[in-house]
Amino acid sequence: MTGPSLLDKRLLLVTGKGGVGKSSVAAALALLATRRGKRVLVCEVNAKERVAPLLGAAPNGPVVGEAAPRLFTVNVTPREAMREYGVMVLRYRAIYEAVFENRVVRYFLKFLPSLAELVMLGKILFEVRAVEEGRPRWDLVVVDAPSTGHAVQLLRVPAALADTVPPGPMRRDVEKMRDLLLDPAATALCIVTLPEEMPVNESIELDGQVRDVLRIPRGVLFVNAMPEERFSAEERARLAGLARTPPPLGPAAEAARLFSLRCEEALRQARRAESALDLRALRLPFLPVGVWGREALERIADALEGRV
Amino acid sequence: MGALFQGLAGKRVVVCVGSGGVGKTTLAAAIALRRAREGGRALVCTIDPARRLANALGLETLGNLESRVPDRELAAAGIELRGGLHAMMLDVKRSWDDLVARHAPDRARQERIFQNRLYQQLSSALAGSQEYMAMEKLYELATERDYDLVVLDTPPTVHALDFLEAPDRILDFLGNDTARVILLPAASAGKMGFRLFQLGGSYVARTLARFTGAEALRDLGEFLGTFQGMYDGFKTRAAAVRELLGRADVGFVIVASPSPVSVDEALYFHEQLRAKAMPIAGVVANRVTTDLWPADGPLPSAEALAAARPGGASDLPARLARTLADHQVFARADRREVERLFAVTTGAKAALPRLETDVHDLAGLATLAARL
Repeated sequence: MTGPSLLDKRLLLVTGKGGVGKSSVAAALALLATRRGKRVLVCEVNAKERVAPLLGAAPNGPVVGEAAPRLFTVNVTPREAMREYGVMVLRYRAIYEAVFENRVVRYFLKFLPSLAELVMLGKILFEVRAVEEGRPRWDLVVVDAPSTGHAVQLLRVPAALADTVPPGPMRRDVEKMRDLLLDPAATALCIVTLPEEMPVNESIELDGQVRDVLRIPRGVLFVNAMPEERFSAEERARLAGLARTPPPLGPAAEAARLFSLRCEEALRQARRAESALDLRALRLPFLPVGVWGREALERIADALEGRV
Repeated sequence: MGALFQGLAGKRVVVCVGSGGVGKTTLAAAIALRRAREGGRALVCTIDPARRLANALGLETLGNLESRVPDRELAAAGIELRGGLHAMMLDVKRSWDDLVARHAPDRARQERIFQNRLYQQLSSALAGSQEYMAMEKLYELATERDYDLVVLDTPPTVHALDFLEAPDRILDFLGNDTARVILLPAASAGKMGFRLFQLGGSYVARTLARFTGAEALRDLGEFLGTFQGMYDGFKTRAAAVRELLGRADVGFVIVASPSPVSVDEALYFHEQLRAKAMPIAGVVANRVTTDLWPADGPLPSAEALAAARPGGASDLPARLARTLADHQVFARADRREVERLFAVTTGAKAALPRLETDVHDLAGLATLAARL
């Protein structure tokens, strides 16, 4: 590929409709970065943890843990992020605990809109900026972001708050967060879709919001699980006629017929997404695996090799 | 396949629940379509920022108002209904405004709430806000209209449980007594919220303000102050909603795709519904890969397929063998998940096959409806 690599950014945000394989793509991107010798952190956002288990490691909750060599994961939860942020702002854990573990205060915090999003995003961006022994703690932070609507809600918080929060430590933090999210040298937002009608619709809508509302630099559109046609038009016609014949040929011809239909629809939808989005698109292979694990992720990473 | 629809016979309210991306919206629309075809007046209500239902129904716009799917659209898709199919998309912001207008004692109070920044965020963005409004709207549709069936498609919550807990959370927010005590003594003097800053000497208040900004707290105080007196109306209504959900003519339908993650969520949801004594009418495994080699014997080799003489290129049998094997990987994985889902769940069960094309138009919905 030409131009700077996506993996040379500091922060990759991966989002898309629920169920399209965001976690797998995020994990595969992280694996690929580790192959290039990078130290990578994958952040999940208050979700049922998937990335560490996909890599064959135990879920590690809100504490950073190493799921594969140089590949770390963390599940960012509002409660833990709030504590970390609070301690950072207030400097002393004892003060945080005296104030924030107070029942009444907990109640306020729970209901101040956007505060949960703010502290979770704050935690993630803090990791992006963290420095250890004179170099960044992470070469790359990959965020397995929530699905479409929730992702927009999460990512628009800094820009929205920068205008409303009164001057003070929080305002400065919010502005720093906003600037990092908008920095094209550091950040890219990637959309994952399946080559199916509804996910493509949602991706198009999401991309519009990224451009018009979030204004976060856009990276790549990943068209996930893209099947490739295995049969010629002439073969398809012949196989369609055989689909109702007895086994073994009938079922095999039916499988071929369904596969071709799926390829045809996938191609139509992939093209629709690619032309609507005006964004670099990468198609990822359709893998015949029943249970996703490390091996499947490595195959996705193989498919991305040299392309991102 | 008829089991699910029979399980829904006699229901006047159906709530479809499940994680995002499992075809919940489509299924909700198909259930309504099916009832309409059999002569009922059916409504499907969705809350969907991505306008998926509008899409699935082939409609360009859906407001907060119920609209009838036009006969000519249905006819164009080859669908004949003995009843009527209606659809609406919940506008969360507008529903909050309506609710406030209903409960506010006077115009001035109503305007003050509308102007409050916290209310503006609450009504559009606060987690649980959509879910709360969905329940609220459901109650209105079920009790103030004359539909034979109302199908509610629930918001694509990150965690299934959010949906059931949201109403309590919102009520907790609006009615928390501790917060009231701290924030509201000044309310009667018309200085809502400023009380917090009269606590200026208070260490807690000062530290908190440093963390969130003083304005956020002032907004919160003012908001709770303005809501004072309206809370009882909200609470009565919420109790009525909860009661509605326990009625015999209400049924929950749990929708899952046959992926491990989705089945886990569905099982968890099932457990929660049972714990809350909510009526479970059905469990649907949606988009299940059809098993083309149901006998558990070995799959045919390329040689075996070549012996059956498919003709054509010499490598065709090998490609066929591979394609069938790939297909069966999914069919078997799906079967395991469906078995896991159905083993412990109650209510009518349906495994719906993956259709040959996505359901995104009325004709597709009709096909799906026929399989219920």
